[in-house]
Amino acid sequence: MKPAKFEYVAPATVDAAVEALRAANGEGKVLAGGQSLLPLLNFRMTRPAVLVDLNGIKDLSFIELRGDRVAIGALTRHREIEQSPLIGSKLPVMAAAMRYVAHLAIRNRGTIGGSLSHADPAAELPMLSLFYGASLLVQGPSGRRTVAAEDFFVDALTNCLEPEEIVVEIEFPILQHDGWAFEEVARRFGDFALASIAVSVRRRASTIEDVRVAVMGVADTPLRLKEVEAKLRDIAIDNQTPDRFSGLVTSCVSANGDLHASAEYRHHLLGRLARRAMQTALATKG
Amino acid sequence: MRPRNVGAPIKRTEDPRLLTGRGEYSADRKPDRPLHIAFLRSGQPHARIARIDTAAAQTSPGVVAVFTAECITGDFKPVIPFSRMPNYYATPIVPLATGKVRYVGEAVAAIIATSRYLAEDALELIEVDYEPLGALARAELAVAGDAALLHEEAGTNVLIAREFKKGDVAADLKAAAVRVGGRFEMTRKAPLAMEPRSYTAEYDKRRDAITLYTSSNIPGIVRDAISESLDLPGHRLRVVAPDVGGSFGSKGSLYPEELLICIAARKLGRSLKWTADRLEDVSSSSQAFAEIVDAEMGFDANGVATSLQADVIGDVGAYSIYPWTCGLEPVQVVSFLPGPYKIASYRGAVRGVATCKPPTGPYRGVGRPISTFVAERLMDLGGKALGLDPLEIRRRNLVRAEEFPYRIASGIIWDKTGFVECLDAAAEAAGYEHLRVQQAAARKQGRLFGIGIASYAELTGIGSRIAVAPGMPINTGSETAKINIDSTGGVTAAFGVASHGQGLETTLAQIVADDLGARFEDVRVIQGDSDEVPMSTGTYASRSAVLGGGAAKHASRILQDKIKRVASHLLEANQDDIEVSDGKAAVIGTDRAVTFKQVAKAVYSDMKTLPVEAREELTATYTYDPINGTTAAATHIAVVEVDPATCFVKILKYVVAEDCGRIINPMIVDGQVHGGVAQGIGAALFEELIYDDDGQLLSASLVDYVIPSAPEVPAMDVIHIESESAVAGGFRGMGEGGTIGAPAAIANAIADALSPLGVDVSILPMTPERIFRLMEQARFNARGKADE
Ligand SMILES: Cc1cc2nc3c(=O)[nH]c(=O)nc-3n(C[C@H](O)[C@H](O)[C@H](O)COP(=O)(O)OP(=O)(O)OC[C@H]3O[C@@H](n4cnc5c(N)ncnc54)[C@H](O)[C@@H]3O)c2cc1C
Repeated sequence: MKPAKFEYVAPATVDAAVEALRAANGEGKVLAGGQSLLPLLNFRMTRPAVLVDLNGIKDLSFIELRGDRVAIGALTRHREIEQSPLIGSKLPVMAAAMRYVAHLAIRNRGTIGGSLSHADPAAELPMLSLFYGASLLVQGPSGRRTVAAEDFFVDALTNCLEPEEIVVEIEFPILQHDGWAFEEVARRFGDFALASIAVSVRRRASTIEDVRVAVMGVADTPLRLKEVEAKLRDIAIDNQTPDRFSGLVTSCVSANGDLHASAEYRHHLLGRLARRAMQTALATKG
Repeated sequence: MRPRNVGAPIKRTEDPRLLTGRGEYSADRKPDRPLHIAFLRSGQPHARIARIDTAAAQTSPGVVAVFTAECITGDFKPVIPFSRMPNYYATPIVPLATGKVRYVGEAVAAIIATSRYLAEDALELIEVDYEPLGALARAELAVAGDAALLHEEAGTNVLIAREFKKGDVAADLKAAAVRVGGRFEMTRKAPLAMEPRSYTAEYDKRRDAITLYTSSNIPGIVRDAISESLDLPGHRLRVVAPDVGGSFGSKGSLYPEELLICIAARKLGRSLKWTADRLEDVSSSSQAFAEIVDAEMGFDANGVATSLQADVIGDVGAYSIYPWTCGLEPVQVVSFLPGPYKIASYRGAVRGVATCKPPTGPYRGVGRPISTFVAERLMDLGGKALGLDPLEIRRRNLVRAEEFPYRIASGIIWDKTGFVECLDAAAEAAGYEHLRVQQAAARKQGRLFGIGIASYAELTGIGSRIAVAPGMPINTGSETAKINIDSTGGVTAAFGVASHGQGLETTLAQIVADDLGARFEDVRVIQGDSDEVPMSTGTYASRSAVLGGGAAKHASRILQDKIKRVASHLLEANQDDIEVSDGKAAVIGTDRAVTFKQVAKAVYSDMKTLPVEAREELTATYTYDPINGTTAAATHIAVVEVDPATCFVKILKYVVAEDCGRIINPMIVDGQVHGGVAQGIGAALFEELIYDDDGQLLSASLVDYVIPSAPEVPAMDVIHIESESAVAGGFRGMGEGGTIGAPAAIANAIADALSPLGVDVSILPMTPERIFRLMEQARFNARGKADE
């Protein structure tokens, strides 16, 4: 289990990294935290001719407030996001979800740019980027462009980037909400999710003004459930709401089955998690 | 003399080096310019090898040699896992697939190169043409008359068949007041040692000799087998098991790669290294369980189990293993099925069936995790049918103190052990009565709360009268200790047993320190080195404390007598008035004493002090054979709650009461129980090697092969019932027990939790998916009832 031969370059700037990718003619691959890429290299499932290591690029790691948005540099480690007071106060759902991302040793290395680019259907940050309606700033040989998170995830482990493009930073709009919840079930603590849901609710007296819902682990990509969001807008809150919400979520998602969980079981889990999440979201303030 | 080290919770002497990265494993050996091996492994489950083209690989950078079966035919004799068992076919063991491949992962060719990277590059250049012969993926299908044969020469896929019988089971079952039964299954499991299998062969040109460093727990058996196969005498073939990072049985058989590395070292006159990567380890090391048991138990109206019958089908994989044979695991299921219970009549039939999977082999507990799972499920089912509490029905059936030695229906004899004492102690420690009250309250709230009990007995420290594996030709009944005091007064105790995590370096030193009268910290223990003792087999079958410990005791006593003789000269006292302790020989009741160093000096260096005839070399060797062996037993109690939303099982409480005889080191005993239970939790809730119908392993990585990690293993209470055994030192073996009791206790607890739903637990692991399906079935049944 050793990688096939590759060349290694460690550029100091994003421009140089993009240039290195361009020079590799589609045979280049970016290395961030290496937590997902190295196993793929060792299994020889990926065999790039050139490995472009981003870890020496200084200005790719940051978390900053930009008005009504929070911007995170692509090379920011999971652990930094988990511990950031800014994330804790402005993006509380993300803060709550980060402790479910793998194990501490992996969070110390893994990066947000790597997680989004790797596009695992059961990974937290891709789902959160949909949940928040994030936008990704991407740089390629012809300059920079912005990609909406909802356009970024094409399929399981597949994003929409061109081979010579690099994710540079991600902007997350700060959501207004009165209550929220993040629920996840994994086989073991730190495993990829069998099913997970993020919910936030904005309410006007006892009516739902706005709901945000995203789920993962049940389809080839994480999903934001706009249909469910629309159906719940302006409805009165009562003690049936969590059940109703759960019914709506399960009716618009058809789960995938795999080795760890059949489609039926995942569907069941998602329903239960949805109910629990809505109960929490309606009970909390913040 | 009072024992001061045996019984004390002494910290393991091996831990400082292992925990600070200063251990030395096989892969840490640094021979001169070693070559590296990479194996091409079959992607086909069952196919004829039509052609192998290695031309391109041979010219690949760094490649020194490419071997296929054809290139090495003259270099070894196949190793035959012989047994005198009738109805057994011994499949020969060869280093590389010959003629055909029989499972995905079987080694087909070996590349030897200057680095592992270059070797793996060259692997991709080998071309193999396979003619598929059809996968035999399930044992139930492989026994069908029209199934393809995996080993044509065997004439059948049933490699081993055996039946145990006592009394008239059919009549007793008929006469029974209550009969319970079912079809039980434990799926295939990986032993999964943290260190994958790893070998370094160091070639000594001067003597055409090889030292094989192997991550094996049977270095002595490996030495003897390779010596025979390669026609290389033992003084030119040294086999050493250095620090070994766990085995759990997966390193307890001879492996084709061990043969190949020695053949290649000799052929090329070079030192070689190979370490399995995780994928190779999971897909080519011996595996565990994979058995289906159809069983039935009959009880009289008083809840006494009268009769038991079982038909076992074991999916033993593609080859029989050396030296244990493919009968080891499945035959043990039927020989241990009656367990610690006095069941009068018994019929247990077993078939071990060849399939396109890696061989099954020894795995911590061998056969007994599943025999205990089945017997303990049946006990609970019987109790339920008769309205008896699980604790009470066990009390009525366990062999009682006054009834030992007791021969159970399958023929195994239990010596005096605390069966009932363990049951009572576990119940008391768990607060059993209170747990039932708690359960009643939980059920009122609709919670799925369950309590599970499992009692079992095992045979440990087996002597020469009983074969560890049925009909096997090698002697597993004795072990040797060789202790010497050198000219500086240093004490070295050498053994053939081979610790791979058990802490023998500590426990054997504790025994030597007490029985020799040395200071614990002055005793160096050497183990797992074939050059140290003339013959040994290794560490397996919970034998090393009993056999190694017994040998240590006897050899220590012999050496102590020598010390006393020398000291009597030096101290001018009667030998009987001398006491040896703390590294000193002293005249009892006085302050006149000589240290081991002074004794050694007098014997070896100082030409004047002792008469020549009194200069006895300070060495002692003893080979100990406990003849029969000894029983160990335990009761486990698990308390669980099943979450109906997630279908997850949470273990709320876990209690083990065990009888391992005289305890050498309570901290190590606790650690062995904890580790065993953790593995049992894996078997009960998580771990499963899933092969599809084409013989492909689907759960080949640690993402898909799920083992419990720290958060999934609860704190546990361990209670020790120390009833001394009859063997030297009063020890019993205890390294495997945790794995035997835990699957059954957890299965019973889950079954108890789900019992309000009217569903049953008959397969392990009980994954959330399986619990979900059981609960769906319960919902379906409830709907059916409502419709009636
Ligand atoms: C045992 C284990 C458990 C895990 N569990 C979880 C979990 O529960 N939840 C979870 O979310 N994740 C989990 N992960 C994945 C972990 O979070 C990874 O760190 C993450 O998915 C990838 O981040 P990375 O920085 O390591 O990326 P790398 O491994 O370096 O790269 C991953 C991919 O992204 C590409 N890439 C990286 N950075 C960029 C960029 N800036 N622009 C374009 N492409 C880029 C790489 O070329 C590569 O294809 C787990 C990983 C392991 C090993």
